[in-house]
Amino acid sequence: MNSDRPAQPLDVLRPRNVGAPIRRTEDPRLLTGRGEYSADRKPDRPLHLAFLRSSQAHARITRIDTAAALASPGVVEVLTAESIVKDFKPVIPFSRMTNYYATPILPLAAGKVRYVGEAVAAVIATSRYLAEDALELIEIDYEPLGAVSRPEFAVTEGAPLLHDAAGTNVLVAREFKKGDVASDSKAAAVRVGGRFEVTRKAPLAMEPRSYTVEYEKRRDAITLYTSSNIPGIVRDAISESLDLPGHRLRVVAPDVGGSFGSKGSLYPEEILICIAARRLRRSLKWTADRLEDISSSSQAFAEIVDAEMGFDANGIAISLQADVIGDVGAYSIYPWTCGLEPVQVVSFLPGPYKIASYRGAVRGVATCKPPTGPYRGVGRPISTFVTERLMDLGAKALGIDPLEIRRRNLVRPEEFPYRIASGIIWDRTGFVECLDAAAETAGYRELRSLQADARKQGRLFGIGIASYAELTGIGSRIAVAPGMPINTGSETAKITIDSTGAITAAFGVASHGQGLETTLAQIVADDLGARFEDVRVIQGDSDEVPMSTGSYASRSAVLGGGAAKHACRILSEKIKRVASHLLEANQDDIEVFGGKAIVLGTDRAVTFRQIAKAVYSDMKTLPVKAREELSATYTYDPINGTTAAATHIAAVEVDPATCFVRIVKYVVAEDCGRIINPLIVDGQVHGGVAQGIGAALFEELVYDDDGQLLSASLIDYVIPSAPEVPNMEVVHVESESGVEGGFRGMGEGGTIGAPAAIANAIADALSPLGIEVSLLPMTPERIFRLMEQAKLKSRGKSR
Amino acid sequence: MKPAKFDYVAPTTVDAAVEALVAANGEGKVLAGGQSLLPLLNFRMTRPGVLVDLNGIQGLSFIEPRGDRIAIGALTRHREIEQSPLIASKLPVMAAAMRHVAHLAIRNRGTIGGSLSHADPAAELPMLSLFYGAELSVQGPAGRRIVAAEDFFVDALTNCLEPEEIVVEIEFPMLAYDGWAFEEVARRFGDFALASIAVSVRRGSSTIDNVRIAVMGVADTPLRLKAVEGKFSGVSIDDRTPDRFSELVMSSVSANSDLHASSEYRQHLLGKLAARAMRTALTAKE
Repeated sequence: MNSDRPAQPLDVLRPRNVGAPIRRTEDPRLLTGRGEYSADRKPDRPLHLAFLRSSQAHARITRIDTAAALASPGVVEVLTAESIVKDFKPVIPFSRMTNYYATPILPLAAGKVRYVGEAVAAVIATSRYLAEDALELIEIDYEPLGAVSRPEFAVTEGAPLLHDAAGTNVLVAREFKKGDVASDSKAAAVRVGGRFEVTRKAPLAMEPRSYTVEYEKRRDAITLYTSSNIPGIVRDAISESLDLPGHRLRVVAPDVGGSFGSKGSLYPEEILICIAARRLRRSLKWTADRLEDISSSSQAFAEIVDAEMGFDANGIAISLQADVIGDVGAYSIYPWTCGLEPVQVVSFLPGPYKIASYRGAVRGVATCKPPTGPYRGVGRPISTFVTERLMDLGAKALGIDPLEIRRRNLVRPEEFPYRIASGIIWDRTGFVECLDAAAETAGYRELRSLQADARKQGRLFGIGIASYAELTGIGSRIAVAPGMPINTGSETAKITIDSTGAITAAFGVASHGQGLETTLAQIVADDLGARFEDVRVIQGDSDEVPMSTGSYASRSAVLGGGAAKHACRILSEKIKRVASHLLEANQDDIEVFGGKAIVLGTDRAVTFRQIAKAVYSDMKTLPVKAREELSATYTYDPINGTTAAATHIAAVEVDPATCFVRIVKYVVAEDCGRIINPLIVDGQVHGGVAQGIGAALFEELVYDDDGQLLSASLIDYVIPSAPEVPNMEVVHVESESGVEGGFRGMGEGGTIGAPAAIANAIADALSPLGIEVSLLPMTPERIFRLMEQAKLKSRGKSR
Repeated sequence: MKPAKFDYVAPTTVDAAVEALVAANGEGKVLAGGQSLLPLLNFRMTRPGVLVDLNGIQGLSFIEPRGDRIAIGALTRHREIEQSPLIASKLPVMAAAMRHVAHLAIRNRGTIGGSLSHADPAAELPMLSLFYGAELSVQGPAGRRIVAAEDFFVDALTNCLEPEEIVVEIEFPMLAYDGWAFEEVARRFGDFALASIAVSVRRGSSTIDNVRIAVMGVADTPLRLKAVEGKFSGVSIDDRTPDRFSELVMSSVSANSDLHASSEYRQHLLGKLAARAMRTALTAKE
């Protein structure tokens, strides 16, 4: 369904911006160093913050002595939890979920520390150098309370409790159930399963977290420039925590150098820098260094999934059950809670498949690590990895081709809307179409025959498929995080033509690399009848719209775009009304395009500038009542939101000598609805797949049993670089969604499909050796060990 | 991540640099390309009292033939070595290895003197200096002395120099060989090696006259495998030669474990690379 206006006569002639491969208008400034990030702000004589971070995983703070630090050159103030206790209210990541304990969020650790890297004290000095010098002079005595590093240990009897008030290390527990999974499983012709794990990952945005707060003495007001993708949420939370009304607390996300979720939660440092600005009546700056970013920004994944899928003899999946342990780290995050990542795993485990009965149980377990939070794909990279591995295991057990078993289980076009076993409803999306398009583009049959040849030569060549579906652009009926009380279901667009005829479109969304300045301008240009280059998009500024949240959960094209379309419609009517006066024509005969209002079939036209002048600056031409402000605001709520889906196919070769995996082919067929800008869509897919390759082959945060981070630098935390990312082919199955504009969200999908497709390809490559893949990342070391074990096993058999 | 306070001097002669190090009384540190030193400073893992910047000293950057050797100035950047036609024709194993040295931006700044002095056990130039049997010319308060590469590397990130000494140039003998190979495996192109081997072979029609072998990534310093060299000179060549060589190399080292690779995996890699390298060296038509 497409709720766009029916085509009008001039639509066919008019150049369309939506759908055109327009180059990103933000790129010239970002690529030539003219962008302005939070750290680029230059407030008057700013002070600099540095944080002393815990060296202990779990310990009581018995003494902090800051006297020497305070006396150090250039130091203005040293803050600890005790010294700021009256300056704020703790922020509580509330949720209506039962079996959930909300850990309060404090700017500095109070009483005890719960992970290595947690901020304990803050030094404020005239330079970052002097601040870091002073950090070394702070003395802290810790009384160790016993590290809790592995989640399996955290749930054992007698494990030290991170939060005494919770009474358990299980911070959240949920179960989803449909049908009689036990008896369906029993009736299954084959059952496949195993223990699957995806280790902990760092989102690793290129720009580390960065905050600049500008203090305005005149009215005790502050402006926080934050590298956040949720500036609206940050504004509302700090407003409440510091008891500061919104008109004295402006939060701006200027240019932001990537987030991938790591800048999508409220951070203790964000609260602290605002507290410090008010206490000292000064502007302050802080930018995390890479070590701080890796060890204190929210982290990703870290789940262990015991899962079993039952199939009937025809390869139809009839039952699915899973027990998930999510290693959520030491605290809940605001606003998403610690349930966000692990609960999403069980919500999405049935995927795009029609599985009759389901039981998915999840526990989010506290450990001495930084909190997990949103990360591109949230939960679904893991749920897809598990479900797609189970599909392949089922196919193998039944002797069915992996492509065919998916075709038999995917929701078919005529079956939408379809409610999967976990309760999620998929709207009409090209599930089967993506599968077919990916198989055709990859040359699936030819790949299989290449594989047969390779195997004859003793080479380890494998093909992996992953199909998935995700909810995007979700409206008010579904909370982004379970039971969360804030409104994530709407976004506002405010479009104004000023007295010079210039068009400004303000949004609450907050691009941190998605190119929304370009895509939203494309939509506004088309729907307002303006020229693309005349539209300025403002976003990420809490002063521009009354309420907003930001960009996350693949929502901005759907919600921002939908709001833009509605606001344009209202403003376009105003333009036509004015133009009908100026052109002395019937409103219905007026068409607006190219920045002009034109009487259809004539050469009579007025420009936006002439219209603006008549409305604002001219007291004679228009009757008073016709001088309506050329502005329209619309808050759009898609209510349910929409589905996006894709199939990824990877072909890999494993080198038995080095145990390295080489990706020889990569194809993505995706349905993101109506495409606003194909260059941006392709870029999002490429970037997402690159991060998925990271999850599949490279990236891993390693904490030892004492809770110390062993991979805290970019030498040890290995991300894919250009040579490790293959060329990929991206095919678009463009089926319009039911929401305004027909868009679907698509910023995360690449990361959801890639780990599963690559895992399946590796398992397929190694299947002659009897090796299965159940843990990611599949590093060369792990492949080496699996191959060694397989050798031992086959030796044992031949004996 | 800001360095602790230090003084900075930028002498224009080696003599002045040595004087500055003497004056620093053991608290001095030499800055060349800075590709390893600056991160260590920023992490405050090293806290010199004085940073002695060599970059203003003229005449320390050169690549020139000197009899049967090639001399390279300590401030010569990796990129210059990588692109030098002289290196390509006279020290081909080094030329092959240079493209594995980190990334272009780092090769543009990093220097050979700095890389040798830093003594990373998984860096290419220290290994090559062992492979070629290079001699380092070192200047200190008492003047210049020559240190053989095999005496230079003491431990991981530790060389044999006194705190006042500076590497000024390195001489690499041109080896005689009939075939050679350089093999390296790193997690990503440009990363520190998980394992690497350099091999050159002099051979008759059916025997190996002598072989030269250096490896890295498998111990606290790069290693020249002289015992294997001894065992492999005079052996006759057949189809099994690369595999026998591989077994000998593997059994002659005991690799370390770290976050990226267990000792078993490193050993396995080294064995595979050794076989591959010997195969290449034996088939090369020179």
